[in-house]
Amino acid sequence: MSAVMANWRRLFVPGEGKGVPVGIFVAIFAALVLVAIFAPLIAPYDPNTQNLLGRLKAPGTEARGTYYLLGSDELGRDLLSRVIYGARISLSVAILSVLLSGCVGTALGMLAGYRRGWVGIVVMRLVDIFLSIPAILLAIIMVAVLGPGFVNVVLVLALTRWPRYARVAYGQTLSVAGQPYVRLAKAMGAGPVRMLFLHILPNIIAPIAVVATLEFGLMVLFEAGLSFLGLGVQPPMASWGAMLSVGRNYVSNAWWIATFPGVCLFLLVLSVNLIGDRLSDYLNPKSR
Amino acid sequence: MTRTTLACGVAFAALFAAGGALAQDFTVNLVNEPSSLDPHMQWNPDSYYVYRNVFDNVVTRDDAGEIIPQIATAWEQVSETEMVLTIRDDVTFHDGEPLTPEDVVFSVERITNPDFGSPQLGQFNSITGAEVTGENEVTLTTDGPYPVLLAQLVKLSVVPQHVVEEVGDEAFNAAPVGSGPYVFEEWDRGVAVTLSRNEDYWGEAGPFETAEFLAVPDASTRVANLRAGTADLIVSLDSDLAMQIENAQGVQVLRAPTERVGFMGMNTTRPPLDDPQVRRAAAMAVDREGIVAGILAGGEQQVGQMATPAHFGYVEGVEPIPYDPEAAAEIVEETGAGDTPMQFATSPVFDQRIVQAIQQMLSEAGFDVEISMTDMSTYLQKARAPEQTERPYFSFGRWSCACQDVDGVQFPLLHSSSSWSRVNDPELDALLETGRSSLDDEERLAAYTEVQSIVQDNAYILPLYQAVAIYGAAGELEWTPTANESLFLNRMSWSE
Amino acid sequence: MSVFLLQRLGQALVAIFGVMTLVFFIQRLTGDPTYLLVPETATQEDIEAMRRTLGLDQPLLMQYLDYLGDMLRFDLGRSFVQNVAVTEIIASRLPYTLQLAGGALLVALVIGLPVGLALAIWRKHRSTNVLMGFVLGAQSMPTFWSGILMIMVFGVWLGWLPPSGSGSLSHLIMPSIALGLLSMATYARIARSSVLDELSKDYVRSARARGVGTGRLVGKHLLRNSLIPVISISALEISQLLAGAVIVETVFAWPGLGQLTVQSVQSRDFVVVQGIVLLGALVTIGVNLIADILYSVVDPRIRKGDGA
Repeated sequence: MSAVMANWRRLFVPGEGKGVPVGIFVAIFAALVLVAIFAPLIAPYDPNTQNLLGRLKAPGTEARGTYYLLGSDELGRDLLSRVIYGARISLSVAILSVLLSGCVGTALGMLAGYRRGWVGIVVMRLVDIFLSIPAILLAIIMVAVLGPGFVNVVLVLALTRWPRYARVAYGQTLSVAGQPYVRLAKAMGAGPVRMLFLHILPNIIAPIAVVATLEFGLMVLFEAGLSFLGLGVQPPMASWGAMLSVGRNYVSNAWWIATFPGVCLFLLVLSVNLIGDRLSDYLNPKSR
Repeated sequence: MTRTTLACGVAFAALFAAGGALAQDFTVNLVNEPSSLDPHMQWNPDSYYVYRNVFDNVVTRDDAGEIIPQIATAWEQVSETEMVLTIRDDVTFHDGEPLTPEDVVFSVERITNPDFGSPQLGQFNSITGAEVTGENEVTLTTDGPYPVLLAQLVKLSVVPQHVVEEVGDEAFNAAPVGSGPYVFEEWDRGVAVTLSRNEDYWGEAGPFETAEFLAVPDASTRVANLRAGTADLIVSLDSDLAMQIENAQGVQVLRAPTERVGFMGMNTTRPPLDDPQVRRAAAMAVDREGIVAGILAGGEQQVGQMATPAHFGYVEGVEPIPYDPEAAAEIVEETGAGDTPMQFATSPVFDQRIVQAIQQMLSEAGFDVEISMTDMSTYLQKARAPEQTERPYFSFGRWSCACQDVDGVQFPLLHSSSSWSRVNDPELDALLETGRSSLDDEERLAAYTEVQSIVQDNAYILPLYQAVAIYGAAGELEWTPTANESLFLNRMSWSE
Repeated sequence: MSVFLLQRLGQALVAIFGVMTLVFFIQRLTGDPTYLLVPETATQEDIEAMRRTLGLDQPLLMQYLDYLGDMLRFDLGRSFVQNVAVTEIIASRLPYTLQLAGGALLVALVIGLPVGLALAIWRKHRSTNVLMGFVLGAQSMPTFWSGILMIMVFGVWLGWLPPSGSGSLSHLIMPSIALGLLSMATYARIARSSVLDELSKDYVRSARARGVGTGRLVGKHLLRNSLIPVISISALEISQLLAGAVIVETVFAWPGLGQLTVQSVQSRDFVVVQGIVLLGALVTIGVNLIADILYSVVDPRIRKGDGA
């Protein structure tokens, strides 16, 4: 166990010429998570309070008793407060959808790889089917049938991304299941649940974790894309993606509306991607 | 390897020729490509912006909104149900054949034929007959007195019988032949529609040799195209995008008050909005001044009725329900209306700034309102649900009938039989029916005055403002946009 | 082998059938296009009449059977909105989609491969980390934002490129970059790991021992040998690019299948959506099928297990 800890430390401390110095990005990620958790304590104002006479105020101006440190948006809301609260939405959408799609996809993929036969066929063809349906179609269907909102954004993302995990889990399980120790455990009478969770899962979790980190960044971007298409979280609640998709209409007369949430979103995705990249280097001995 | 090479090859196969913008080539950016160029099929702005330049209508409106002759030079209501039209005799279609009264009759019969399945059928199905009754004379028969007939004929394009019958509906849509100031050249599907000037046009010819209509779905891209000079005219902008254009060089914003009325609809059949007091509270909570001056700020006028001064049936001197958030909050408190969670249904095509502003105003008065934004089709399914009680608690809309008559606004929104209406009031229904069927202007006006006072006393709906259409244009374009949101190329010109 | 092939082909056909059936029914859960087709003033009767015209008043099962019958005759149907054959609509959009996918692939390869190569060869230098940061950063921005920034800078302020639209090579540049940036990092990673893989092989070592310079080594051996995994990943990336262009096409008004998908889904043009999905399914499932067959050639265990 202590060897693992030592390895983890090596992961984040830049060694000689190995990968990207990732510590700073871990710090950025942690800072963004803290902002999300403590949003109500940090935000200077209510993120949804409008001021129709204080629209599109530049950063550092004041209108009707509100000091807009990062400027105000198209309805005169304090951009700083909205960016701070937006961290909650962006992060929680990404975390929940990664967890959901990761669990479902991994479970199905393991099952398919372990049982093979018709179970394997059905699961893997289901993967094909889901990969063939455009995400936008699934998104609109979810909204039409279940109504719009935060939960449905998470469901849409999970529904479109689980096949990715299922494929990795399937391939990994196939190779692990052939290992002597797994055969031994099976011969000793371990049940399928025990087999999957005690013997196979621990051996395939590393590549799954890499996929999950890379997917995390994608989920943040996908959520932004859904907002751009008008299928994201419901206003006035705002994710960084939603603020960005409104703010892009103001690039030449109120640059701040897109820039601040955009930079936050960029830093979040970049840091997660770099951590994921480092993680995959670390777990893949060939590239060390 | 071959796959990669192939893909690269395809990429390079694209043409090199970039189009230089000549003043003779006019480029318009629409939101989507036209869904049809057959004027008897789809009726949506992106389609009629284009085909109204290819076809002439029976009558048209001048820039001031008055109905003036086009294919019909004169019209006369000869009985309660009959109107006689005099048809121009000097009009030819683009293929050189003359436009005859038979073509007019054919056009009416085509669009009113249920088997043809025109989506516009509902606008014309009061016309039960059309026949040639003399040289250059067509008589239209309606199923009863129909005062807005002439206003509807503004939207009825005349198509050539000989072409439609020869090539069929489908080929006609793909290559329409009309009599208008521009001739259809090419429809590159998904990309552009190109028109060229009709040099033999009977009326005022267009100023540009060719006109190209492109689909550019994203509004900020349309603005960029205009600023870069690759577009001469762009449509569908909001006030904040207009501000970007106003601050830029060589481009201008053109605005026209439209006959669109912005309103907040309420479902008067669902508690707590079935209580007139509660609806009044909702009306008092909304700061129209804030919306019009704070957000829109483009010359929009507040209105106190579901009509604009451009409509027949506009009632002079109406005082709207005042903005009084304190009184609204008191009523909500007393009636307990804030205990029911309600949805504000909307879709991305509506101005989300206004929707969010109204939602916030209602919340501040104590209502429990959340926005429910879905795509347009899902929204319409809710807004036009078969059961009145299933239609949304709140919604925001901008209504136009393109007929400049309050019947086209108030009947669909307030008459209990309409698929939009969330109001159920027999007295109101009777008045709206009188307004729809009487041919006596005074009687109609009296009915609409009565309608107005009932609507206001019961706070059935909250009229907000008269909308302004905003276009972005090249700095040298001279054009007066009209209230009915048409885009007639032959009424434009380049300034010297 | 041939039994496996046939089985796998059969499965692929069943999967495509499954996709089409699923899409047929779930689309119809979202209502129908009539409300969008009729003008606002249409009455309930007009709406019913429109439904009859489109054949949407029929029982769902009947519509499905009709659809299957048409499929068997290779008739994909006509668009509700445009009243044009679906094959014609898709055929008019496909060239644009291929151009964009090709352009994006080119951008991703031209930047991604050298970066990956540099990362592998100079892996001891800390400065190469900046390169990886760059390619990762390029895929960390939503395309609708980077897209409009590019349009403003190169289209409006500098005036070097047309801001949007199609019709010339210069129109293709910005959308290709916007889309290509997304898969650049994938290529960089793969190129790096496969070059590293090659570097550890005996022939490289012996070449080095003979005094062959790095430049020549890279040019003559490394590049060619490490291209194989790059090509195999490209097959998968292409189907991703075909699907992933929705936002890029909307921002740049590029008339490809991505825009068509959004518009058709939003306007409930079921028939067009079915046509697009069928095309997508053929590509995605086809690529998977080929990949599976290739793997089974390499690793016979998979074949045995799958067939059981």
